[in-house]
Amino acid sequence: MSRQTPRVSVEGRKFSSEVFALTYGALVAQLLKDYENDDDVNKQLDKMGYSMGVRMIEDFLARNNIGRCHDFRDTADIIAKNGFKTFLGITPNVTNWSTDGKEFSLILDNNPLTEFVELPENHSSLSFSNILCGALRGALEMVQMEVEVWFVQDSLKGDDTTEIRLKFIKKLEDALPDGED
Amino acid sequence: MAIYDFYIFHREGTCIYYCQWHGKKPPSPSVTEHNCKLMYGLLYSLKSFVLRISPTDGKDQFSSYRTSKYKLNYYETPSGIKFVMTTDLGVGNIKDIMKSIYRKIYVEYLVKNPFIDVSKPVSSELFVSKLDAYVKELPFFEPKQ
Amino acid sequence: MESKSASIQRKSTNILEKPLSKGRGEINLSTFAFLFSELVQYCQNRSSSVVDLQQKLASLGHHVGTRILDALYLRERGSKRELRLLQALIFVKTTVWKSCFGREADKLELSNDDEKTYYIIENESLVNKFIFVPKDKGSLNCAAFSGGIIEAVLNGLNFPCNVTVHWHKGTTYMIKFEESVLMREKSLESR
Repeated sequence: MSRQTPRVSVEGRKFSSEVFALTYGALVAQLLKDYENDDDVNKQLDKMGYSMGVRMIEDFLARNNIGRCHDFRDTADIIAKNGFKTFLGITPNVTNWSTDGKEFSLILDNNPLTEFVELPENHSSLSFSNILCGALRGALEMVQMEVEVWFVQDSLKGDDTTEIRLKFIKKLEDALPDGED
Repeated sequence: MAIYDFYIFHREGTCIYYCQWHGKKPPSPSVTEHNCKLMYGLLYSLKSFVLRISPTDGKDQFSSYRTSKYKLNYYETPSGIKFVMTTDLGVGNIKDIMKSIYRKIYVEYLVKNPFIDVSKPVSSELFVSKLDAYVKELPFFEPKQ
Repeated sequence: MESKSASIQRKSTNILEKPLSKGRGEINLSTFAFLFSELVQYCQNRSSSVVDLQQKLASLGHHVGTRILDALYLRERGSKRELRLLQALIFVKTTVWKSCFGREADKLELSNDDEKTYYIIENESLVNKFIFVPKDKGSLNCAAFSGGIIEAVLNGLNFPCNVTVHWHKGTTYMIKFEESVLMREKSLESR
């Protein structure tokens, strides 16, 4: 019966980043086998990221005393300095703000997901780290922000740097009670 | 002092968990379901009224109300999960307790479990037993004599 | 045109220019837990049974195991490979386990009735720590993933074997070696 009570908290514990990166690589390799083309793999990674983001935001909020953000700049700051820092141990730069303040980029100097990765030649449209986009979208949706997230540059593909773009779409409202819509 | 009942609402407005410890005889499942809907409607309205009436800017949130018989305690996470605990009038501010239910029980036993869809009513016995144990340990759990 | 050729060159040399990881990098365990959860769900959706699901987890573990072996050898052992069976098993129980899960496995035992079978026992497997198995999947043990890592490492060391996981004293990994491994052991012994 020992399996009925194994769920002690993993709060604050560390894990080998090497095994983490290899495990993620194993997942992507499996998806490349299971799906016919790169776009479908990208979509599946995004979907899995979304589902992770939805859960990770709860873990994040429960551990940090952070209220709702005032504006998108606030959000950008917390994503970079708290979110990425907590879960991936890196702090991306927030930059390239659009003039209306609704779009910005995260620049990742190094990406823990790609520690050992070299893209296979025949998968040029694969967005290897696409899970990050899904995770950001999922997490932000839970704090009532609908966003679009995509890779602008990826050093894995030979770009100078890794740049993720976030665009604010709209604020989501509480669900209406039954019979009032 | 006493704890009467406890609700968790998912952000979509579904009541994912309801439990009663003390208070009047437990209602039938269909009445419970109806009561949960009423409760969500009440919270929704209270929230929007509180916000509209607020004399100051900013994100006002109500944390409790009292009647002459009971007190309703409310905590909403920034992710829109709503926790409601009704108690008797002797119970003070229990925001921290509701927060720790969120942190230690909701996140640990529902969110981190890959086999659970958190938008559906809770089916995890582990969650239920952990919550029950936690609530029963609270100093104001038992009704006063 | 010029910039394009520069970028192609960068692409091809990039990974070789990077210094080999020291392997001491760490990440929040929660992040791994959430990723692993996703892995389990994905495999579950594509499996018809618990056995099937465990096989899928094991094959993902395999992918990790073959790669971790190379990294470990370059880093820790100066590329010297283990020749004897017991040394290889101890290497798995200590070095491999430590670098994957932060500590050594609890026990290594030889089966009483079969000299081809060994057990590695882990009282509380890390990957099971954050997975609460629902009742309808009573026998599911997600440590099949770690089992896949062990199998790949031992196979990579040229000790072909088959690893299965069991709920016994926590998690028990049953390692059955092929006959050829035993034959080789005996010939090494008689030298």
